Amino acid sequence: MGIFQDKSWSPYTAGALAGLLLVLSVALTGKYFGASTTFVRAAGYIEQAVAPEKVSGMEYFLKEKVKIDWQFLFVVGVLFGAMGAARLSGEQRAVAVPPMWEARFGPSRAKRWIIAFVGGSVLMFGARLADG
Amino acid sequence: MNELLTGAITGILFGFVMQKAQVIRYDRQLGALCLKDMTIVKFMLSTIVVAMVGIYLLFDLGFVKLSIKPAIMGANVLGGLIFGIGWGIVGYCPATAMGALGEGRYDSVFALAGMILGAGIYAELFPVMKSTVLTWGDYGKITLPSVLGINHWIVIFVVTGVFIGLFWWFEKRKL
Repeated sequence: MGIFQDKSWSPYTAGALAGLLLVLSVALTGKYFGASTTFVRAAGYIEQAVAPEKVSGMEYFLKEKVKIDWQFLFVVGVLFGAMGAARLSGEQRAVAVPPMWEARFGPSRAKRWIIAFVGGSVLMFGARLADG
Repeated sequence: MNELLTGAITGILFGFVMQKAQVIRYDRQLGALCLKDMTIVKFMLSTIVVAMVGIYLLFDLGFVKLSIKPAIMGANVLGGLIFGIGWGIVGYCPATAMGALGEGRYDSVFALAGMILGAGIYAELFPVMKSTVLTWGDYGKITLPSVLGINHWIVIFVVTGVFIGLFWWFEKRKL
């Protein structure tokens, strides 16, 4: 179990393994990796709960159907994979504010969380526009 | 096999290697954007080299289909710039925010919530985008080999060479 308990792998080795995983995924199931469409579907589910008629008429939700699919589970899987890897090396711990952020902007949680929320929404708008 | 099961297994394995490479950390992502820590760039370029060679090999043998997205200059350039501004602010990309949460970095909850909002806003504005930005400079589904009119293995060879050169330079500069 030695290597699974290591705190870090070489980014070259880990990157090559990720590449191999992508090749296997495409070869065996025809699926390329992606994450951002899942956020559209998550938004769709939330809006559906509030205003179902509105969602059913929106062009973008007709294009990217609101459903749980391969990519949705892929994105959820990333959380659990990272959790497992962090646990094996004893690195899982609650961190409210990233160290580099704290050094630059101070320890305020509210500040970091608000900025993370704003940054996240800008990022995803751009990602969807570029179709990435 | 069930599509949802293969998605979950693939995601778990991908999340595992990303955590081991330490690429799901805010400090690593900002380090790359400040050109001080190239860990995530090493990870991404290594992934690209292996996947590029593997997938084109299988494509030539007729085993797989490529997934080529349209090159729309307006959407790609504007979307890329907006994505970059957001990424620099939040310090996580969509998949790494999920991984960061698994690691216990719970500021990513707010990043993820913001991403869902951003996706919702885009869905709202899609009809406007479709008639404007998404029509500016639409070249369709093109690739470097198709534009240059050369065999894809030449492109793969050159790209791999450039990436290896970058790796050598990163190590030399201890980035």
